[in-house]
Amino acid sequence: MAKREKPIPRKDWYQLDLSAIVYPTLHRHDFAPVYRQSVLLTEVVDPELLQRAVDLTMPRFPTYKVAMRKGLFWRYLEPNDRPGPFVQPDIKNPCQPMYFKGNNRYLIRFYYYRNRISLEAHHSLGDGTGCMCVLQTVTAVYLRLKGYPVETAFSKEQGYFVMNIDKQPDPEELEDAYMKYANAKFCPPRPGEKTYRIRGTKESFYTLNIIDGIMSTSAVLAVAKGYHATITEYLNAVLLYALLKKQESDRRLRLKPVKVAMPVNLRRFFPSKTLRNFITMIYPGVDPRLGEYTFEEIVTQVHNDMRYHINEKFLRGDITTNAATKRHPLIRIVTLFIKDFVIKLFYTRVQDHNSSAGLTNMGALKVPESMKPYIVRFDIYMGQPFSSRTNCAIISYEDTLTINFASSIIEADVERYFFRKLVQDGIHVKIESNREMTLEV
Amino acid sequence: MSYCVNCGVELEQSLGQCPLCNTPVINPREAVCNKSPFPEEKGQVEVVKRKDMSILLTTVMVSTSIVCGLLNVLVYSSRPWSLAVIGACILLWVILIPIAIYTRLSVYTSVLLDGLGTVIYLYMLTFLSESSQWFWGIGMPIAVLVTLVTEFLVVCFQMLPRSFLTNTLYSFTSLAALNIGMEILIDRYLQGTVQLGWSTIVLTVCIIVNITIITLLSRKRLRNAVRKRLHF
Repeated sequence: MAKREKPIPRKDWYQLDLSAIVYPTLHRHDFAPVYRQSVLLTEVVDPELLQRAVDLTMPRFPTYKVAMRKGLFWRYLEPNDRPGPFVQPDIKNPCQPMYFKGNNRYLIRFYYYRNRISLEAHHSLGDGTGCMCVLQTVTAVYLRLKGYPVETAFSKEQGYFVMNIDKQPDPEELEDAYMKYANAKFCPPRPGEKTYRIRGTKESFYTLNIIDGIMSTSAVLAVAKGYHATITEYLNAVLLYALLKKQESDRRLRLKPVKVAMPVNLRRFFPSKTLRNFITMIYPGVDPRLGEYTFEEIVTQVHNDMRYHINEKFLRGDITTNAATKRHPLIRIVTLFIKDFVIKLFYTRVQDHNSSAGLTNMGALKVPESMKPYIVRFDIYMGQPFSSRTNCAIISYEDTLTINFASSIIEADVERYFFRKLVQDGIHVKIESNREMTLEV
Repeated sequence: MSYCVNCGVELEQSLGQCPLCNTPVINPREAVCNKSPFPEEKGQVEVVKRKDMSILLTTVMVSTSIVCGLLNVLVYSSRPWSLAVIGACILLWVILIPIAIYTRLSVYTSVLLDGLGTVIYLYMLTFLSESSQWFWGIGMPIAVLVTLVTEFLVVCFQMLPRSFLTNTLYSFTSLAALNIGMEILIDRYLQGTVQLGWSTIVLTVCIIVNITIITLLSRKRLRNAVRKRLHF
């Protein structure tokens, strides 16, 4: 093991980044914005070694070893020196609410089950990319502790998620990148339109229904190419198609636009190394009030929509609009509880109505060659949706593409239409689920 | 491996039914195995302890009461002034019960306890005044009236349909009842007879507002027109 560097002075506190400000205000007794990432190994996990790996890894990620605190005007993150986080046996109902005062004030949980390591994190800490760095680094350290020749010393330029735990964190990893790049000279207005919302029967407290679809990446890519689209565009179109079918089956008198909330990783457009949140949302969709869409038309619509919205200029404008609220002097001097009230009202009345479902694509994961023999696949769950709907998360590793649906409603109509469409397109889908099923058809 | 005959997807070995359409798996060549990729154990949400806050509050209230009581007995003993402080501590503690001490307390019981706390506080103040006549004549009846009207409002909010208009209707009804009751109690205490005056003006305004709201509630077209013009 290389010699450790001289420690740089630790920060006493961290401001919440632009996205992270919103998440704590949405807390309910039965909801917290918690997401999960899992890695499936080729062999059964040893909990003691995993705990050692977590203990060795967490100091490398100071913004993940924190507690949430309240100030007079804003919340902030404070380094947490309490014991933990502790690894624990996995549970059937993941992404449980995360109370700030529970779990020794940690906003991160580690689970193990057979050959799976799972990490659950509060969205205030970071986005999927940051969390994946923590998970892959823990996995790499764990494999090394097992005695496998796993490389962990990589340079940033190599683009791996595995970080060198012997190095000090780069200050850029801890920054709020939004404020750095939110510098457009104009704040474009936020698009806002009420969209179709799924009406479902709420599950009992606290159940998260999971349906995983496992398929071949190359098969999906071939089908997507057939529609002249990328995998993300194609799967986005399939989800929109499923939502349209669901709206049709609801037999509503008035149709509403169907949109999907999709986070875009801003690191692709702005050169930031941050491990905190650095995403923004786009809302590709179709409006059935204008006429019936064929699937090919949906794909074209999504393709054009994404090409139009996902570019450096548009995204810079979007984050500038969001940052303008935080920068406004009048908003800054308003006390936290008023901010909480207003943000929650805005989210429940406007933001939550902007989309019918959520979809995130982590893309093809890059794993160091030395780790590849020990990894089967990755899973990602967006966690419990704020309202009664379903969230879809996609991740691919080598030739395995996993689509994970998570919802807290009993009905699985959207998931059914979604996977049936994939099967119709000739993709072989294997289904796994934690749902407790009744024998009624 | 089994496939769903409806959806065409391959089902993981532990699934006895298709999770997408609930179709049972019937495969005589392959029995359903119990080895699910998901754990069987359900997790429990961690309970956040509010003990620290409740201990701190109780300690502050109790120590304030004891210290003031001792000061009253040993130093400034001309009048039982500490009863006002002790009564205020009891009242504050009762109000804080549902917030910090026992959060599962129903809202009805909380309101009832708040009313009881106020009555006790007022009674303690009688020791500072020359007679307790004001307490029995006006203090306690008004505290009871306010408690009853608040309970009525809570019942309306909890049991009846809620919207901006209905909430206003319940609030104005409660306001009218409270004002009439207050004037009756004040008149009875001061004059010995009841002669309604100012409260009838409040009652008239409340009745006008309530009739308008009931009309709005019963006419959908009218309600939508008002909502459209007054939305915020």
